[in-house]
Amino acid sequence: MDFIQDGFIQAFALLLNRDPATYSAISATLRASGLAMAASLLLGIPLGYLLGYFDFRLKKQIRIIVDTLLSLPTVFIGLVIYALLTRNGPLGEAGLLFTIPGIAIGQVILSLPIIIALTATAVEAADNKLHITLMSLGANRRQIAASTLWEVRLGILAAAVTATGRVLTEVGISLMIGGNIKWHTRTITTAIALETSKGEFGMGIALGLVLLLIALTVNISLAGLRRRI
Amino acid sequence: MYHIQDVDHYYGEKHVLAIDDISIPEASIVGLIGPNGSGKSTLLKLLGFLEEPTYGSIFFKGQKAAPFSSEVRFKVTLLTQEPYLMRRTVFENIAYGLKIRGDTKDLNKRVEEALALVGLAPENFARRRWSALSGGEAQRVALAARLVLKPEVLLLDEPTASVDADSARLIRDASLKAREEWGTTLVVATHDWQWLFETCDSVRHLLHGRLFRGGLGCAVQGPWKFSREGFLQKELKDGQCLIAPTPEEGKQVAILDPARLRLALPGKVPLLKWNINSLKGYVSRLFLEKNGEIVQTAIKVAELLVAIRLERKQVELLKLFPGREVIILYDSHKIEWL
Repeated sequence: MDFIQDGFIQAFALLLNRDPATYSAISATLRASGLAMAASLLLGIPLGYLLGYFDFRLKKQIRIIVDTLLSLPTVFIGLVIYALLTRNGPLGEAGLLFTIPGIAIGQVILSLPIIIALTATAVEAADNKLHITLMSLGANRRQIAASTLWEVRLGILAAAVTATGRVLTEVGISLMIGGNIKWHTRTITTAIALETSKGEFGMGIALGLVLLLIALTVNISLAGLRRRI
Repeated sequence: MYHIQDVDHYYGEKHVLAIDDISIPEASIVGLIGPNGSGKSTLLKLLGFLEEPTYGSIFFKGQKAAPFSSEVRFKVTLLTQEPYLMRRTVFENIAYGLKIRGDTKDLNKRVEEALALVGLAPENFARRRWSALSGGEAQRVALAARLVLKPEVLLLDEPTASVDADSARLIRDASLKAREEWGTTLVVATHDWQWLFETCDSVRHLLHGRLFRGGLGCAVQGPWKFSREGFLQKELKDGQCLIAPTPEEGKQVAILDPARLRLALPGKVPLLKWNINSLKGYVSRLFLEKNGEIVQTAIKVAELLVAIRLERKQVELLKLFPGREVIILYDSHKIEWL
């Protein structure tokens, strides 16, 4: 069990000594997940809102598909995106394989169903009286839509927190699309996988703790945001 | 202000409202009374242009209007029985309607005035979050959010049903002030007799989605049993029976028309014709109407509560008081069915 204790000590040492390889992995992790989350929120909130707010044909079927996509294995996403981005693939010309944007694309596939499904659930769960209240106060359709979105903001924030956690901690996509290239596409999770395969459990634990610290910082920020809104 | 013509409203297959023709004058206070599920809330939603009637038209100030139409959007507002407060501060809730109108001049002052109108101190409540309010306070904030708009029509759906007596009084006073100060037309669905008979200019009775202009003495539900050829009887819990003619198929609720009921005291019952029946009951409540001449008299007959409008002189003559035993006389041939 010493390696756990060593891991704790090493984690702080890596951070305090500004270990370049660790900071490179932190940077790659934050850039990939930041890009992925920005795209997922931009796409997912409107789509989730539409899915939750409106009744239309095939709504139930679409909902089942979105819910099924919540269970997508990251290695499968990695495989599909790899096939698309590889030099001989349909999107090979874009040169996104083994890049941070490439990882981000895979992570969007991972996080988008989470944002859509949880936003749709939050909108569906909004009190029926909200619509009547807004209408009776004189709101037009556009104002009702905007106010409803604002009313379910805590649900959307929860969706963002859940998706961020999933994106930050995934390993299959980063490994397959990023290629775990040091100083370039090596993220914290791929670094953990590598260190563990080398038998460097302490280093693996240290990187895991660094990842947890990042997740803690993100969640403290979101909790602060939740209180303010 | 309103004219409703041949309105039929359905929720799916269910026919929930059928109104042939009613008008609501400007700056009047109209009360709606009826049991739960009678269509009061649906009628208020239609009057508030929150829903469009399945069939028929609603005219507002002579113009046919529909949800979101500019003729009504900023003029009519509804306070529901359990109002929804947005997840914002009290101030933001009250200011919302003004903001969406782009009418933000003196916003702070107007919000504070609206809060004061419903008896909430602005310095204590304006910055509170929606979640830090009691039920009565939330109801008053919701009313303030409507009153700040100075609406031409204020529709109130059982506004005092779930609040304490103080909140109920404050809600009533604030609503009446809207009528006094801005000539707001009020339509109130309530079971509160003080609202209905002390403040309303007219009271409409609703049952099964239909309006009864002459009032509703009592609506008697089944089960009904065979009495004699052409008649059914409803056995009341104290053993008395209400006799009614056999209805057309599909009709199940017998209506006692208050205009066709008479009252007598025990031992002073006039000689009854063969078709007149009687029921013994007790005066439960006496309430002097706004005009000062008519007394709403509620009589408890076993599990039924029968409402009769009596002239004040009749009440004096019969020496009625709550608890007094009385005899209700009715013509069993003239009971109608719904």
